Amino acid sequence: MEEIAANELAIEKREQAVLELADFDEVVRVYRPRILRFLLSSLAERDAAEALTQECFLKAWSARHQFRGDSSLSTWLTRIAVNLMRDHLRSRSLRFWQKTRGSALDVMDISDWVPDGRSSPESLAVARQRVASVWRSVENLSAQQRTVFVLRFVEEMELDEIASSIGMNLSTVKSHLYRALAIIRERMGETK
Amino acid sequence: MKFRKDAVPNPEPNASRDELREIAEAVSLYRSAMHHIADREAARPFVADRRPGHTIGFRFLLAPVLTAIVAAGIFVPIYNHLHHHNSRPVVRAAANQLEASATLANVDDTVLMNQIDSQLSEDVPDALRPLADLSDQPTTHNSVSEKKNVTQE
Repeated sequence: MEEIAANELAIEKREQAVLELADFDEVVRVYRPRILRFLLSSLAERDAAEALTQECFLKAWSARHQFRGDSSLSTWLTRIAVNLMRDHLRSRSLRFWQKTRGSALDVMDISDWVPDGRSSPESLAVARQRVASVWRSVENLSAQQRTVFVLRFVEEMELDEIASSIGMNLSTVKSHLYRALAIIRERMGETK
Repeated sequence: MKFRKDAVPNPEPNASRDELREIAEAVSLYRSAMHHIADREAARPFVADRRPGHTIGFRFLLAPVLTAIVAAGIFVPIYNHLHHHNSRPVVRAAANQLEASATLANVDDTVLMNQIDSQLSEDVPDALRPLADLSDQPTTHNSVSEKKNVTQE
């Protein structure tokens, strides 16, 4: 009985996924900002993030028949983006003579933007300094630590969802996140 | 087994709690900044390649040149090393041959010099020797012929 229910649920998920993917323009419209944000936060390069976002949706379109709805569409797209980013980082390390940081995000781009409503210029300056400090710390994390950190604290994904997206087990994800936070905490303490 | 709530020590002192609060706030600001920047970037029209064309051309030119330089830097010393290593016996053989021929030449020269020396050191024929030869000849024949001449007169 339970098996039948599970099968029915799987079929329902698949139908829902097919239905969701049928209107691919809508998929792009809804998920593109999120994928771009993740890639931009992870790579800190505008052009590379844009190009990989486009490639991510191209791959998703090509492989849409393989999507079975086991995970959410967001998780599936994030997994494609993570794989593309890994390939990009690998090829970038091989093409060491290329100037790849031409469109790099600057720390000023980040720290200049702080939401209004600060009580005083001093508190605004302190807030900017903190954002810049987090930015520099994130830049110096390892690729895996950075990916986990960005997915957790920028994309606000659940840990099991992160584990599914990057193909790691939950304990490894927790370990990377713990180390990433320890490094950020340490660096922020140094900059005080 | 239950732990009494008041028995659990406070894991973070106040200073650490403040520090964590600051980090949480900084991370929250960072998230807001990233959302803002990503939204701004998403609104911009995407251009496939914003780099100028000559950069790509230069890259296509530079990559093979750099590869060739690196390859030359690796293979030339290896080739030189191997070539030098292989040619060592040949050089040694040539040196031996040269040495042998030099020895032989020295021997030949010595023999020749000895020969010449021996020839030169032989008793030089005296300038008067032909006369001496003549004087050595028996005088009877002359006296007879002289006698003949006398009688004929």
